[in-house]
Amino acid sequence: MKAFSVFIAIGVILVTVFWLSALAYALGAVLGDWAWISNLAILLLGFVMIIATLLTLAERKWSAMIQDRIGPNRATIDVPGLRGRAFGGLFHVATDALKMLFKEDFRPKNADPLLFNLGPILAFAPVLALFAVVPVGPQVTARIFGFSHQVGLQVSNPDFGMLWVLAIASLAVYGTSLAGWASNNKFALLGGVRASSQMISYEVALGLGLVGVMMAFSSVRLPEIIGGQATHLWGGVTNVPGLGAIDFGIPAWGILLQPIGFVVFFTAAFAETKRAPFDVPEGESEIIGYFVEYSGMKFGLFMISEFAEVVILSAITTDIFFGGWQLGFGGDAALTRALGPEHGILLGSLYATIFWIKVLVLCYVQLAIRWTFPRFRYDQIQNLGWKILLPQALANVFVTGALLLFDPSLKMLAIVGFLEIGFVLALAAKTSTDETDHAGDDAHLPADAHGQASTAALPGAAAASHH
Amino acid sequence: MAYDASKNPSGDLRERLYLPELIRGLAITTRHFLRNLFNPRDVNSEVQERKGANLVSTVSYPEEKTPYPPGYRGLHRLVPREDGKPRCVACYMCATICPAQCIYIEAGEYATQDPASESRVIEKFPTQFVIDELRCIVCGLCVDACPKDAIRMDTGLHTPSEYNRAGFVWDIPKLLQGPPVSHPSDPWSKRPSSAPPPHQHAEAHTRIGEGLVQLKLPPGEHHKRTEVTDQPVPVTRFLKD
Repeated sequence: MKAFSVFIAIGVILVTVFWLSALAYALGAVLGDWAWISNLAILLLGFVMIIATLLTLAERKWSAMIQDRIGPNRATIDVPGLRGRAFGGLFHVATDALKMLFKEDFRPKNADPLLFNLGPILAFAPVLALFAVVPVGPQVTARIFGFSHQVGLQVSNPDFGMLWVLAIASLAVYGTSLAGWASNNKFALLGGVRASSQMISYEVALGLGLVGVMMAFSSVRLPEIIGGQATHLWGGVTNVPGLGAIDFGIPAWGILLQPIGFVVFFTAAFAETKRAPFDVPEGESEIIGYFVEYSGMKFGLFMISEFAEVVILSAITTDIFFGGWQLGFGGDAALTRALGPEHGILLGSLYATIFWIKVLVLCYVQLAIRWTFPRFRYDQIQNLGWKILLPQALANVFVTGALLLFDPSLKMLAIVGFLEIGFVLALAAKTSTDETDHAGDDAHLPADAHGQASTAALPGAAAASHH
Repeated sequence: MAYDASKNPSGDLRERLYLPELIRGLAITTRHFLRNLFNPRDVNSEVQERKGANLVSTVSYPEEKTPYPPGYRGLHRLVPREDGKPRCVACYMCATICPAQCIYIEAGEYATQDPASESRVIEKFPTQFVIDELRCIVCGLCVDACPKDAIRMDTGLHTPSEYNRAGFVWDIPKLLQGPPVSHPSDPWSKRPSSAPPPHQHAEAHTRIGEGLVQLKLPPGEHHKRTEVTDQPVPVTRFLKD
């Protein structure tokens, strides 16, 4: 019964996403060249802000489930039909927002009034502005009520594409350091310093992690990177009786071509969002951070900008490494052929729904990472940024360049990528012989045989582990 | 999965690479998440007896309550007679032995003309029987002291919360609850012969906690009482996965 209600909830979310995307396409068709207005309203204020708001609840509810708790379930609305039903804690979002709006907006006596007010604005605005270049749905010919226009779900598609992301992301550091400075509080200042040093350190790795992708697809514009990922590395058109020609193949997704780039970018972006395990600047209950003096909705802005960063990081990662809105593996050709180009809005909305599904899965991964890993120490953060991620990103750039020169068809790059992914997955799947309490994992094999099999498969790993 | 601290992690390639361990950690987290998301929560208040794949062990008080252990001394009750009046004869023994001095009794006497005192088997009764539940230390000495089995601590309840102190001072209407009890030794059931008493009397003598007599509780309160066995309670049953 519970599984049924979970599926209903997922269905409601997907239908909402689909209709909101369809609305964006329809408005774009009506507005024509002014479609960026509807995209601005629906993508930024609609999708990003709604998902970020719901993530504040998801953070609490999902962490509860991860930790075998129940989570928020006490806020209910006292009207007939809704009485006594918590809807998974949905009303806690409303109570949180109301609480923040009506709390006293307190400013310390000696705080700088201008900078103190500017802090949350400067922390929040760049985060939202990041999303302007992120494409959500493909360019389709949208027809509705006699209007017909080429519409793509992207606010703006400048030539500098991804460079805008990197440039604006580095602006967010002003918000945090200003908040720490203007509060006139030593702990807040220290928190701001920690935040700015961490964010600036990881900016280098953040940019270098993406260089490999930019080289592979020879563009910094996100729609072109998504278009590059539509090509198939291997595979081709096969004729299946009854279904016609099916174009099945392995897509050139960024994660397959650039696994190291993905890890470096994702880690660095994680540090930019200042979330666990990189939450040394501000650790909710333990570490006094840069917004300790903020109350009410100003604190809420810092909070919501953190969750908006989660959404936007997921969206950018989806676009660059997970094929954007594409189904992949030949599904796109089938989808396009099944619907036909005349159903532009339907096709675009389906693609946008696929995009948002990927984004939500990545949001879950980010939240799960927070509730899986302990916080890094400050020196570990700097070590990871400068001594591990930066050399790794640089080496990745050179290796990618060499492989692209050697084989411009990306196949060699993909083979190296597969080897890297396979190596990590094999290490992750390898169960050591002393873990006897994982009966479920080893049930099909005696522990000895399993251990020998995996060590035989990985001579290098076995040698390293016996040092 | 306990962490083996004697092992040097720097020699393990998997831990040095960090990423494989990261993936394994995420797998554990996600397994917990999915199990708790898709499986209904077992609301059995005996947490160690919960079945099912859901791992949540919360008892959602006050909708769900854990039963008290069988030896628990619950809230007092004044035991009624068959005619609904308290069995108490106002002898002051409980008030005298009470170390917290929380029992206050005022004794009354039946008039000679009173039908209740037809045979003069009951002479005294409490006009006031008040227990200050805030002072009570739940030691149970009053129950042992009572010669008439008139006060018991077998309700299995704890003192409910109140808004002021006066609410914790319980008088006869609040204390008098549960099934009526009569004993063969009661003066109003004196037998003409010396034959052994009927079986139900022997039953009534035993404690309600042993389950021989059903305790009538106020409606809406359902309490599960744990079976008492000689077996030790396996503590490891709390540990799932």
